[in-house]
Amino acid sequence: MTQTFYLLRNQAVPDIDRIEVYEANQGYQALRKALKEYEPKALVEMVKASGLRGRGGAGFPTGMKWSFLPDDGRPRYLVVNSDEAEPGTFKDRELIEKNPHLLIEGMIISSYATGAREAYIYCRGEFLFGSEQLKRAVAEAYQRGYLGENILDSGFSLDIKVYRGAGAYICGEESALLESLEGKRGNPRLKPPFPAVAGLYGMPTVVNNVETICNLPPLVENGPEWYRSMGTEKSPGLKIMSVSGHVNRPGNYEIPLATPLRALIEEYAGGVKGGRQVKAVIPGGSSVPVMTKDQLDTPLDYESILAAGSMLGSGGCIVIDDQTCMVAVSARLLKFYREESCGKCTPCREGTFWMTDVLERMEAGEGTPHDLDLIRDMADNIAGKCFCPLGDAALGVVVSAMKYFPDEFEAHVTEHTCPMGARLYDTVNH
Amino acid sequence: MIRLTIDDREITVPEGTMVVDAAQELGIDVPIYCYHQALGPLGACRICLVQVEKMPKLVTACTTAVQEGMVVHTRGSAVDKGRQGVLEFLLINHPLDCPVCDKGGECFLQDYTFQYGSAAGRYDEPKIHKLKDAAINEFIIIDQERCVLCQRCVRFMGEYVGEEQLLLEGRGVETVVSTVSHQPMDSQFSGNVIDLCPVGALLSIPYRYKARPWNLERAESVCPHCPVACTTSVTSREGHVIRVEGRPIPGHDWGWLCDRGRFGYDFGYVEDRLLNAWLDGEITSAAESTRTIGSWLNDTLEQHGGDSVAFLVGGQQTMEEAYQIRRFADEVVGTSKVAVSRSVKGYLPLGLNGTFEDLDRADTIVYLGQDPYDAVPVVHLKVRDRYRDNPGLKVIGIGAYDLTRSTVPGDAFVLEPGEEAAFLAYTLAKVAASNPIIARLGEELGDFSPTFKGAKSEQEVETLGRQLLESEHLVLLWDGKDPHMESVLLALRGLREDVTAVLPTFGPANWRGFERAGIAVDYDRLEAFVEEAIQGKIHLLFSIGADLLRDYPDRERAKAALAAIDRVVSVGLFFPEQRELYHAVIPGAGWSEVDGTYTNMEGRMQVAKATVQPPGQSRPVRTYLGSWAHALKKSFVLEPEWDPFDHNAGDLIAKDALPEVQSVPKPARPAMKDGALRLVGTALVMEGGMPSEILQPRIPKYPGRISLADASRLGIGEPGGELGLRGQQGMISVMVAVDERIPQGVLVLPYGVVGSPLNQLGDGAVVEAVSLEEVSLR
Repeated sequence: MTQTFYLLRNQAVPDIDRIEVYEANQGYQALRKALKEYEPKALVEMVKASGLRGRGGAGFPTGMKWSFLPDDGRPRYLVVNSDEAEPGTFKDRELIEKNPHLLIEGMIISSYATGAREAYIYCRGEFLFGSEQLKRAVAEAYQRGYLGENILDSGFSLDIKVYRGAGAYICGEESALLESLEGKRGNPRLKPPFPAVAGLYGMPTVVNNVETICNLPPLVENGPEWYRSMGTEKSPGLKIMSVSGHVNRPGNYEIPLATPLRALIEEYAGGVKGGRQVKAVIPGGSSVPVMTKDQLDTPLDYESILAAGSMLGSGGCIVIDDQTCMVAVSARLLKFYREESCGKCTPCREGTFWMTDVLERMEAGEGTPHDLDLIRDMADNIAGKCFCPLGDAALGVVVSAMKYFPDEFEAHVTEHTCPMGARLYDTVNH
Repeated sequence: MIRLTIDDREITVPEGTMVVDAAQELGIDVPIYCYHQALGPLGACRICLVQVEKMPKLVTACTTAVQEGMVVHTRGSAVDKGRQGVLEFLLINHPLDCPVCDKGGECFLQDYTFQYGSAAGRYDEPKIHKLKDAAINEFIIIDQERCVLCQRCVRFMGEYVGEEQLLLEGRGVETVVSTVSHQPMDSQFSGNVIDLCPVGALLSIPYRYKARPWNLERAESVCPHCPVACTTSVTSREGHVIRVEGRPIPGHDWGWLCDRGRFGYDFGYVEDRLLNAWLDGEITSAAESTRTIGSWLNDTLEQHGGDSVAFLVGGQQTMEEAYQIRRFADEVVGTSKVAVSRSVKGYLPLGLNGTFEDLDRADTIVYLGQDPYDAVPVVHLKVRDRYRDNPGLKVIGIGAYDLTRSTVPGDAFVLEPGEEAAFLAYTLAKVAASNPIIARLGEELGDFSPTFKGAKSEQEVETLGRQLLESEHLVLLWDGKDPHMESVLLALRGLREDVTAVLPTFGPANWRGFERAGIAVDYDRLEAFVEEAIQGKIHLLFSIGADLLRDYPDRERAKAALAAIDRVVSVGLFFPEQRELYHAVIPGAGWSEVDGTYTNMEGRMQVAKATVQPPGQSRPVRTYLGSWAHALKKSFVLEPEWDPFDHNAGDLIAKDALPEVQSVPKPARPAMKDGALRLVGTALVMEGGMPSEILQPRIPKYPGRISLADASRLGIGEPGGELGLRGQQGMISVMVAVDERIPQGVLVLPYGVVGSPLNQLGDGAVVEAVSLEEVSLR
């Protein structure tokens, strides 16, 4: 196994979070190059040419997103989504805690490209250390003239503000993030209008994930052809995968897209713990359907994973071994969504609550065969009927787990106990 | 225009229309909770799911704008299943306590469950428990368990009214509607959330456990409390009015009410309501009082002739009653002395009168002397509505204090009290001095120049002048205090090419209706009556729904007038002030007890149905008029009923020709001693009207308002204090509090505050603060 390092290349350098160390390791060279050699439009074209796709989960082409900004003279904003709260995903956290200047450099390049004069980092509420790191790094960047007026004598000016959320998963959804950033309750907004047209304070706004923006410095250094030399035609480049669960070496691994899932688990993450077998893998964070051990040869790119019935999502790869109860997994993950539903729309608010209760009851041996139909019907009443994607996200694991492991669910309601002997935290809610 | 098909029927609607509204136009009912046309789409409740061909999923009809060629199905198995699912979700944590819920029978959760829901529930888990029966202010309780979190209430207060008093608290299934900082809602528009709530979560406290919908009778009515005359629906049970709701008129009015109108319906049942006739301070029978008053009338006519009898009418009667009184005076008594009891001297020619539609189109709105929020609250909401549609709306406050407020930001010109007309004449002369109309207006102004409290440059005055002349749709809200303003308004109308509309914010509420019924409402008429009374030329007065002492600008003079009349008869719902001045007081019937028509500040006639019988011995005016005619052995036939509507003009009173512009005199500024205050009257809908026990907690404890500087000087702290005031005509005490909008040297006091009669000292009077002991020794 050879691990390529671009986004994570300097993670091991001591004190890389200090600007002088970052500079000594080619830091801010890409920015100099971008400001000197590129017109903003050329940068947008380069990002388009690279085929870079958003790393927050949806995988929307970044260059295209940037080109949606209307050219109407209104102020524009760049907002970096660092509200990384998807269970199983912890790549952005490592980026901002260990190497915050990479993000800042990427943000300056992106702002220059998109014409933003003000940029925000919306940091997850729980990322206290990460937000402190960012604030400190932003202050350093101001001191060195990378931020503020007339950056590096280019005539380009930019201010970056770091905002820490209050701890709500829904604020990772871009429109809820913008509401929260404006000081309002973090509920998703009606779309259209999309943020590119009416985003922060009603102005044209680009919202990008941390990892997406961190791609900019290496991209400017090495060019789009280099980027396209990795991955596939539609999913080029690099992706950081966060591997967690029953593996020997959980952690973040930077891979060229289309690396097989098996290689990620076995070569990068050191294989399943204790010599046990893979039972299921959640490849893209807790919101996507599970894959089974028969699908381990699927290449990790957006299209292949989709064809295999799941999604690459945020790259949070949760490995589940053969001694794990899938009902317990489903109940635990649904409980997360129940707690994180913002409460705005009915199916998500009430549906995740009810379904969690039923699954917890099943896991505790108090289910009935009727409950299985009930869960399927409830899922049908939630799917595609919610205001934002959170409701559908909540269903990803439970619906796929019932599809792939029906016997396990049935055993719970016929034998009135968990055949795996799993114990749930606190069984029932109340 | 966009053409689309809904349930196999084609319709063409404007671009931007939501599917739900297009369906509504076809008469197709799509269920909704969170959506409200005034608030715009939200997409929270998901009950309005519909199927649109070529779309992969069901969509919410309230958030989906129509598109050319769209094919929509509002029913079908997928839609029905989706709605059934949403309803099931809404009900899992709902307490299902319909049998004890006031909303039962008129609840959209019940209705839609009946229509689209499943007959049986599948939910076996424990329900979430939340706050029940918690008061969010004096009038409203919340039951968070019944709430469907549609956010209508939260959005209405925060976005529509602009007074952020409700919010969502918590998240997920634990989300609840709560008040900001857990403080009671104190907005005067709070009651609207009861009408907006589609379920039994926000309920009226006064109406609580009073009735089930099948016990009720509902009648269309209009609110009698201020000149807006909002359309209402009056609920009664067993002869009692027990509730008032807003009555939306589609395409014309949202049906908002202020709390004064919504909860002030209990004046019919308060302890002070007159239920018997009184003669010389003693209760007597209806028959005896009728005989006695009949004989007084007979004697007076024999001894002094018709013109020795006068009629003073107030603002509560219907147009039909006003017409009956006028005919009685004309035909039975033979007197021309019919005057309307008024507080302000101004008159607005009908031809200048605008409508609320002008507010919907205005680009410039000017408040003259009065903050509409206080006098005509729902007009403030209409202005706010316009501001939401058109954030470029220019609002200008011109008066003795800052008349603007944060919900509709504007520019304030703060002048010496009573100089609004002169100021405007001066301003117009700055920008159009050569115009003959302006020249005429300014003939007597002399060297007048305004003194501003707070800096205003000459430049700003000129800008104002140009705005007044050049704005595309100008609406002025006038307090009616200064009669010279009439000429300024006429001049503006004469000079401007675009629409100039004036809305009178002054009462009495139905004065336009009286005018239509043939009773002259001008102040001169009232003044002449008072003068003749004092001179002893009036021997018998019928004061019908009027209270001269309360209304007339000079209380001492009003007293002298009443005292000089041989016999004073009052017909009303309550004893008038200083009842010893009246020889007979007989109980009248009022709003909700008589059918009739009221004309509002637009000049729009609106019908209010009677829903209950007058209580006790109280009777409608026509009954008394008939019996007095009988005592004179004269016939007084009221059939057929007079129809106030002119069928060529619709419900608006037809406009007439405009009078000539007169000049505005230079205002005389009274000498001010050090530390003296100018007393400025204002109309406040909570004060001076019909009494209400329900509203008691909302009657301002400190109705008077002064500047912080004066308060500190006079030792008035938080939350307020009592102040003794002495003027030329006497002394009163006033409860006052600080208001930052009031300039130093001004004390603003609403008309009709019980115990603090402004007209004892006079509007605009120079007063000085005295000790309270001095006042009590008076």
